[in-house]
Amino acid sequence: MAGYKTWQCNNCGWLYSEADGLPEEGIAPGTRWKDVPDDFVCPSCGFAKSNFEMVEI
Amino acid sequence: MRIPQNIVEAIVDAKSYAAEKPMQDAFTWLRREMPLAVAEPEGVDPFWVVTKNRDILEVERNNDLYHNGDRATVLTSKANDQRVRAMMGGSPHLVRSLVQMDNPDHGNYRRLTQPYFLPQNIKKLEPRIREIAKSFVDRMADKGGTCDFARDVAFLYPLHVIMEILGVPEVDEPFMLRLTQELFGPADPDTNRNRKAEMTEEEALQAIMATVADFVTYFNKMTKDRREQPRDDVASVIANGKIAGQPLGELEAMSYYIIVASAGHDTTSNTTAGALWALAEAPEQFAKLKHDTTGLMAGFIEESIRWVTPVKHFMRTATVDATLRDTAIKKGDWLFLAYPSGNRDEDVFEDPFTFKVDRTLNKHVAFGYGAHVCLGQHLARMEMRILWEELLPRLKQVELAGEPRRTEANFVCGPKSVPIRYTMQ
Repeated sequence: MAGYKTWQCNNCGWLYSEADGLPEEGIAPGTRWKDVPDDFVCPSCGFAKSNFEMVEI
Repeated sequence: MRIPQNIVEAIVDAKSYAAEKPMQDAFTWLRREMPLAVAEPEGVDPFWVVTKNRDILEVERNNDLYHNGDRATVLTSKANDQRVRAMMGGSPHLVRSLVQMDNPDHGNYRRLTQPYFLPQNIKKLEPRIREIAKSFVDRMADKGGTCDFARDVAFLYPLHVIMEILGVPEVDEPFMLRLTQELFGPADPDTNRNRKAEMTEEEALQAIMATVADFVTYFNKMTKDRREQPRDDVASVIANGKIAGQPLGELEAMSYYIIVASAGHDTTSNTTAGALWALAEAPEQFAKLKHDTTGLMAGFIEESIRWVTPVKHFMRTATVDATLRDTAIKKGDWLFLAYPSGNRDEDVFEDPFTFKVDRTLNKHVAFGYGAHVCLGQHLARMEMRILWEELLPRLKQVELAGEPRRTEANFVCGPKSVPIRYTMQ
């Protein structure tokens, strides 16, 4: 799907793909990073959403 | 509340981890009856035993409240703590790797090698790792239907991968494997440096010090070489790395090499061996995985990691008075994070004592959490995925051909022998 981006936790490297979302956490495929709730934490290490950066994979 | 001594024994005794059931039974009892309580084994300072998944996450997430390095980071007797402090100028640590550090050093040292271990970098290694995996699968096929999967495959494959990444030549891999097993299995008669059935505490400490000295001698030569001729390997990053414009301290550099050269393979080996053991005991799980290898792969790997939980504990020290599970923790208190317990927590895992290749929502704590979460977790997952992608399509049937055995250790351990009988195509 065009234009979807990937965001990475700068503590542990875990990746959030906008195309895939995170259905097991209630975040549907196609959810843009800006629409991910502000209280989201990295499922791998618990760091806050503000610690993520967009990356090219 | 004080934990009964029979339970304390079962959670500190290395033999209990080798047998596994006594250890798991003790943690199950603790989760139900005393999920956060104080243990006081003979000759060891008292410590809190943190058994619940949620509490382990809370302690790990609050890494300023709970430090790694203020006291020993693994369970240590009073006598050995005094011996180490006497030798190390008051420090409770023989080495000073990421595991023993707190901020700001931890962040600074972690950032040095973190880019190397991120998914976008390690994916470049995938073709080479696949070649290595294929060679081990071929070797297994050549063995004609029986092998010790732990010794013939699981120990050697992650070892070869991490040694290539670090920059250690293949000829030195057996030496690195031996030192790693000595370091993590100081109580095990098959792996301790003296190969003794029983080691006193002091003998075990002296053996570990001798092992560390062997590592240091080896890596000092490597530092010199990589400073003269840097290569595209992690050794060159450590040898030439700078923190705030200064080269790494000698202790910190040596410790960095040691943690990569030991933890960088042993945990993956344990998990891989434990996963095959589980599959050999559960033909219906093996069949399910064979039927949908691609669809189940990611979940199967997480379940393998949860199932084995190769790192059994780390200690933390409260930096201030704190509250955990509505319980007052005093500044300076020592906490034992019981990862095997967190990974069998009935509040988090349905049917936690069953190995399920299709388990979802697998919130295990085997890699830790927070700032200290495992640096090599992405590499570990990738190595396991590649090995299984190469092995499973060729493995038609597998069963145990003897009694598997685990290393006797309460810090890092897993299967040391997994004899199997199998058919390959």
